[in-house]
Amino acid sequence: MIIRGDEPEQLRLLRKLYKPGNYFMQGNEAVAYGALFAGCRFYAGYPITPSSEIAETMARELPKLHGYYLQMEDEIGSIAAMVGASWTGFKVMTATSGPGFSLMQENLGYAVMTETPLVLVDVQRSGPSTGQATKGAQGDFFQARWGTHGDHPIVAVSPVSVEDAFWETIRAFNIAEKLRSPVVVLFDGVIAHTREQMRIPDVSEVEITYRKLPKNEEEAKLPFGGALVPPMPLFGHGYFTHVTGSTHKENGLRDVYTQEVHDRLVRRIHKKIEEHEEEIQKWEEYFTDDMDILIVSWGVSARPSLGAVLKARDDGIKAGLFVPKTVHPFPGKRIRELSKKVRVILVPEMNLGQLILEVQRYVNDDVLLKGVNKIGGVPLRVEEILREIRGVA
Amino acid sequence: MMQIRLAGIGGQGVILAGVILGEAAAIEGLNVLQTQDYGSASRGGHSIADVIISKEPIYELMVTKADVLVALAQLGYDSTKEELKRDGILIVDTDLVKPDRDYIGAPFTHLAEENTGLALTVNMVALGYLVAKTGIVKKESVEEAIKRRVPKGTEDINVKAFRVGYEEGLK
Repeated sequence: MIIRGDEPEQLRLLRKLYKPGNYFMQGNEAVAYGALFAGCRFYAGYPITPSSEIAETMARELPKLHGYYLQMEDEIGSIAAMVGASWTGFKVMTATSGPGFSLMQENLGYAVMTETPLVLVDVQRSGPSTGQATKGAQGDFFQARWGTHGDHPIVAVSPVSVEDAFWETIRAFNIAEKLRSPVVVLFDGVIAHTREQMRIPDVSEVEITYRKLPKNEEEAKLPFGGALVPPMPLFGHGYFTHVTGSTHKENGLRDVYTQEVHDRLVRRIHKKIEEHEEEIQKWEEYFTDDMDILIVSWGVSARPSLGAVLKARDDGIKAGLFVPKTVHPFPGKRIRELSKKVRVILVPEMNLGQLILEVQRYVNDDVLLKGVNKIGGVPLRVEEILREIRGVA
Repeated sequence: MMQIRLAGIGGQGVILAGVILGEAAAIEGLNVLQTQDYGSASRGGHSIADVIISKEPIYELMVTKADVLVALAQLGYDSTKEELKRDGILIVDTDLVKPDRDYIGAPFTHLAEENTGLALTVNMVALGYLVAKTGIVKKESVEEAIKRRVPKGTEDINVKAFRVGYEEGLK
């Protein structure tokens, strides 16, 4: 039976099991609880460090909410099971790390093409390959964007703290449901294994979205067209729905030869993200009204960046900070506006320069653009970023 | 702000001790950030737990310069001794760690075995000693945190071990 997270019995259970209040919680646990509050009642996964506590928490908690945890044989099976469960009406999630994320790319593309809502958490670890299995990193910025092949849009959000992980996971589900699209949570091994205080809200404080369903058989005949985001005819409701990763017409039937059919389908899949860009994009700004130097940082590196900006301002250096919470589609227009106010942009991140390439597309040549990069599994320190700010002040 | 690092080898419960210290600080309404670092082996590799406790917001993600280092194994001490401030406090299991600088401590593993019959409770003994010496959190907060975090049925033995270490630290 399909369990919806917004049923009265489910709300009662959530209130009983997870009492509102302050908790000392780990990042991975916060992701799992965010998913439960968002209405996720199906998880298929293959545990991998540093994401395993998400699977552990879901395996422990989902049965209490009458949900399902499925231990799969590998990452390919995990995302395939999620796609299937999503088509039965479940809100679904899996979590993995770099190597597992690589294995999921094929079916991530399948989810994009079949317009299947799902949430895929990538707890980034130090790569390439098996790399430093227990250490965090931010090296999958472009794997999230372009890991699967062909023209495709993707939405990816990136939390900056334990509490943020709870809320960004909920936001990921809402976007996935509203736009019938997979959404990636680009998390990292550092915050994933960090414990700090966070507040569990009452369920009434959490807004959750569900996908649009066909009202009748007529509407169910066009699961892949007719509207920018078509209604999703769920399996088991008597509709004859054909779901394929091959190019298909509005009614779902294959047509892999006609140029116009492919053009129409793939452009619509792009357009549904583009048209909602302003709604999807989210960021934080600090001191950007009055600055000479802009720091652009994301995820785990945003926190020491803010520490460094505050210290720089104590020294009289006018530094500001921009933190994209939605990293794809990247809020480049805002970067373009902000870049006109400054001489220098620094981009701290735990990789050898990925977000910086996205920033570069929106910044004129007369602005000095410089990465602050650290790899090897150790997060950036406030002092390291401050030194770079002082160096360009 | 106080930066505390606990270092040992996998299996000594170093990370659990860090989590409990962090939870105790959270119970008192302090800002706290707890992280860890460990090898991929389930036993025998190095194991480190960091706890940063502050009244102000915390912007670091791990200990940058430790005010206190608790070392329960030579491997743990050797792998992180450079991170301890020059005037920081070094606390060691005196049977298991031979430091090359000033230190305080007690034979925590021996005390654990002698008082609870379980060497496993060494993490709680060391935590008690640390709390008594630094006063970073209240004894009662730690005992509440222990009850929340240790496996059901082991609360009493863990609290007992904590008190043994605490008393030792008051000496």
